[in-house]
Amino acid sequence: MVALARKTLVYEWRRFLPAILAVGFAGLLQLLQAALVLGIFGSASVYITGSSADLWAGYPGTQSVNLGRSIDSGVEMRLRMDPAVASVEPFHWVDADWRGPSDTGGVSVFVSGINTRPDGMLFAHALSPALRARLNEPDAVVVDRADLDSLGVGIGDSAVINGHRVRVVGVSSGLRALGGVNVVASLATAAELDTDPSNTNRMTYFVAKLRDPAQASEVAARLRGNSAFGSYDVWTAEDFARRSQLYWMFDTGAGAGVLFLAGIVFLVGAVITSQTLVAAVIGSVREYATLNALGVGVGALRKVVMEQAFWVGALGLAGASILGGLALAFARSRSVPVALDPWTALACLSLGMGLAIVSGLAAMRSLRRADPATLLR
Amino acid sequence: MNQAAHLTSPSVSLQARHVSKSFTSGQIRSTVLHDITLDIRAGELTLISGPSGCGKSTLLAILSGLQPTDGGQVIALGQDLNLLGPRQIERFRLLHTGFVFQGFNLFPALNALEQVELPLSYLGLAPAEARRRAMASLEEVGLGPRMGLRPSELSGGEKQRVAIARALAKQPDLLFADEPTSALDAANGQIVIDILHRIARTHGTTVLCVSHDPRLVGHADRVLAMEDGRILSDRVPSPTSTPASGIEEPSA
Repeated sequence: MVALARKTLVYEWRRFLPAILAVGFAGLLQLLQAALVLGIFGSASVYITGSSADLWAGYPGTQSVNLGRSIDSGVEMRLRMDPAVASVEPFHWVDADWRGPSDTGGVSVFVSGINTRPDGMLFAHALSPALRARLNEPDAVVVDRADLDSLGVGIGDSAVINGHRVRVVGVSSGLRALGGVNVVASLATAAELDTDPSNTNRMTYFVAKLRDPAQASEVAARLRGNSAFGSYDVWTAEDFARRSQLYWMFDTGAGAGVLFLAGIVFLVGAVITSQTLVAAVIGSVREYATLNALGVGVGALRKVVMEQAFWVGALGLAGASILGGLALAFARSRSVPVALDPWTALACLSLGMGLAIVSGLAAMRSLRRADPATLLR
Repeated sequence: MNQAAHLTSPSVSLQARHVSKSFTSGQIRSTVLHDITLDIRAGELTLISGPSGCGKSTLLAILSGLQPTDGGQVIALGQDLNLLGPRQIERFRLLHTGFVFQGFNLFPALNALEQVELPLSYLGLAPAEARRRAMASLEEVGLGPRMGLRPSELSGGEKQRVAIARALAKQPDLLFADEPTSALDAANGQIVIDILHRIARTHGTTVLCVSHDPRLVGHADRVLAMEDGRILSDRVPSPTSTPASGIEEPSA
């Protein structure tokens, strides 16, 4: 079988180049956009993804982890009573106001009060045991390295949170927050910083580790039905993280913006690609008509056009993958929050291939001009 | 000519019966073919000649199944083409017909061998058989040493010979050629018409050639002169009437 589609693509590559570039850049834009969105909104759930807990118990209907309201401390007992639960620890969230030593004005901070033991679940992936141990000092806090400037402090400096003096004992990385600055403290320090008197004997979240993490959904469902300790709800860590990310993505309008932009990119890419492929078909229309006169069916000719569209897509997306990989590596080296899981990458690349295929279908229509009777004039 | 004799003659491969065709352009309806009846025999090079606009190309399109008739019948190899659907007509063309056009219509990306192999692969031939046939066809038109070249590296005459090889490799019963020499100089035109003639003789193929080129008349076995959609004369050219001006070049 003569590989007409591929040979033409190689021989007349200049003709096909705009289509390859259009598919490539559309794919690259989708990839980078998805990576940025996932990276930025992934930090909305850093409290969950940076921790090793399997279950989260919090106020019913909580849409995002930063919107937690306090629940009764008795919920801890309820969690411990379940035989599947291995350990439970509290998470004290305080919305607070930061005054630094430098002239930075007031900064809105989120204080996370955590268990500082080396085997603590909260921020198990984000804080080293040494750093956790340092939080045991009275009024000690840890902030993210990237936030030092906006807080106007360095390590060892003092600042004031909600009128209470604290001292920065270390810096973490990868703990940047959305819409504010994360400050990590021990549970005792956080309790000192919480100025709301109604929060005595109450806690924002209780997190639990299970003996078998695979059973997380069943255990969460079992624990959720009980109202003996006031109203509370239980989610698996995975669900709660996704819920927090989706809240930021859609309730802030950012998700709609991203989808809109993806649509525009798809449309522009499809217009350029289909026009290029149409021009390529028209350029060879007499040859196609001759093949049809010789009895090669219209279906076989369509297959040639679709094969060209496929190769245009494959070449464009190969380029997009290479450039996208380089761009993501560069972004990571500059602490730009980017994250891309294989499924999202695959979805972006499929969208690019879909663009090429749709363009191929559009170009296929111009094969109608390949009527052999027109050659006899 | 006696029609009854033609109907019974085994060598008649292509028949037109009361074929008519007209085109509508805006308000004006013009009849291109008026009630044409003719028989074309296998193993002969039949030339339809006439001035441009006389309907000869339309007649070729209808006889080859590229266009439907308005009225009448076309019987090719015993098949009434009017009774075949579009897919069946395509199949019929794939199995039985070859075409050579005025423009060579070769794919720029393919070399001569690939141009000829391409339609063969759709015939369902094994790759080795397709290659063997393609090479044999190119040898037959005298392009054996140049089969690795692309159209941009071939002369006009050579391109037309590749186009002939492409049609010939299918081993068609019917070979249609539309103005095959009008884009060529005298020497190359001579070579091309000689090849077409030889194909008719050696393969028993029905070769139907449409041309207004008077130099071809002497090379045809039979000449049909057309004007205004009618066949004016049907004759066998005598060798003495061959116009000799500038075409007696050595053939390749």
